[in-house]
Amino acid sequence: MAVTNWIDHLSAKEVAGAVYPGVGTEGVLVLIAVVIWIGWHAITAKQEEDELKKLVKRRPSSNAWKSNVTDG
Amino acid sequence: MTDQLGALTTIFTEFYYWITVVLMFLIHVGFCMYEVGASRYKHHQHTLMKNTMLIPLVTVTWFLFGWWIYWAFPTGPGLAPSIMNESAALITDESAFSAKWYLPNSDLMAVNLGDHISGVFWAAFLLFSWTAASIVSGAVIERITTFAFGILAIAIGSVFWTIDAAWGWHFDGWMLKLLGYHDAYASGVIHAIAGGFALGILAVLGPRIGKFSSSGVPRNIGPRNPWLVTIGLFLIYTGFWGFYAACNIPIFNLGPEYGMEGVTYWTATNIYVTPTTLSGITMNFLMSLSGGLLAGYVIAKGDPFWTYSSGLAGIICASAGNDLYHPIQAMIIAMIGVVIAYKLHYWVERKFKIDDAVGAVAVHGYAGFAGLVICGFVLNGYPSSGYSVGAMWDGTTYAAINPLGMFIGALIMFVVLGFIPGWIIAKVLHGMGRLRIPREVELAGLDFDIMEAAKDDEKTVASSS
Repeated sequence: MAVTNWIDHLSAKEVAGAVYPGVGTEGVLVLIAVVIWIGWHAITAKQEEDELKKLVKRRPSSNAWKSNVTDG
Repeated sequence: MTDQLGALTTIFTEFYYWITVVLMFLIHVGFCMYEVGASRYKHHQHTLMKNTMLIPLVTVTWFLFGWWIYWAFPTGPGLAPSIMNESAALITDESAFSAKWYLPNSDLMAVNLGDHISGVFWAAFLLFSWTAASIVSGAVIERITTFAFGILAIAIGSVFWTIDAAWGWHFDGWMLKLLGYHDAYASGVIHAIAGGFALGILAVLGPRIGKFSSSGVPRNIGPRNPWLVTIGLFLIYTGFWGFYAACNIPIFNLGPEYGMEGVTYWTATNIYVTPTTLSGITMNFLMSLSGGLLAGYVIAKGDPFWTYSSGLAGIICASAGNDLYHPIQAMIIAMIGVVIAYKLHYWVERKFKIDDAVGAVAVHGYAGFAGLVICGFVLNGYPSSGYSVGAMWDGTTYAAINPLGMFIGALIMFVVLGFIPGWIIAKVLHGMGRLRIPREVELAGLDFDIMEAAKDDEKTVASSS
């Protein structure tokens, strides 16, 4: 339950330590975090694979990068 | 917090760890600078991103399960009973320091008015986790995929190092009780394991193209930006200093803790809750840094890259016993560690064709391993825990620090929890074809597309003006 009045909250017989919004929904929050974490790996793995494949197809020479050095 | 003294002690401790966390952030800044400085121009930005992204990956997984592992695993499980509940099972019951409070859905893993310590302590350990992963990052630059590194960073940062910390760093750890393991500032629990893990990966990953001639003679691929490497290492030293403070408990009354009737003894302690002083460890930190630099300068004939790295290797080697050593002992131990690390690095490179791009296996792995073994001799007979004389551990006593126990402990860190898991996970990733970037990309440079886009942008801007 969200805190709506600090005086009431702190003068209670037993002060509840957890004061974040949505106390009791921690399990759902953890599930969301797991989905974000695994999803990030899946998305970035695909991005990296595509990027590497694209570069392999172009076959730039080992010195080609030098012509791309920007300086001012 | 209802009385003022208790509140002050709590808030001081909270603030103390908070400061150490901020200081330790510099370790990561240093590692990023160091790695970019050591890599070649065409790989710079991907190298930076690889190391940077370990921060969120290890942090999220540390929140989800890494911190829980540390509190759950001190008993092995099954190797030695806990002093809290006398059971050898995972510590997930109602014990005083039960892992149940550190599950990700626990209300202590958040803003909680009843707990001012868990979060800063969690963060201090998290910064250690980043360090473990970052050590590995430097060794594998310019040829590992970001995907593979992410998996490996989580494995070392949120799983294997935290298991070793539960075993050999927790005051209730089975390695203290059975082996007399002592590793106050993490020669083994951070450095030897991360070095071993990196070596396991390198054995599968292979060297950078061109590192070895066709006849197998190693070629030097030196740092491309020595100034960035210099600042990076200075920042790592600074953060390491914060790490030393983070490994201590700043103020603790050992009398009641050890069950000594009527005795009050306030002191700083190391992580095992045995007495030391912030003052003394500061001297030891600086003397071991100095010993490392002195030895490194001589053995590397003034080479800046190795001299700076040797300063770090010196501290790492002396760290296991720097809570108790005399400063001159710390300096000498640091010098020994540097010589061992430097010699082993080149021997392994020649013999096994291992391309450790930044010397991470040597500086962290070999120096850490040597530090543990040396500590076993120098601190032979010292108690590994204060609880052996008190009321909390009423079974058999904790083993005293001893050379054999420390040698076995070093093997557990470097080989069992370091090299073997690193090698296995790298093998699996290699089998999936996801470990190493294609040869064409390695030659062209990981940043080829980014650089080409930057050149096009510049042309566009120039033509418009």
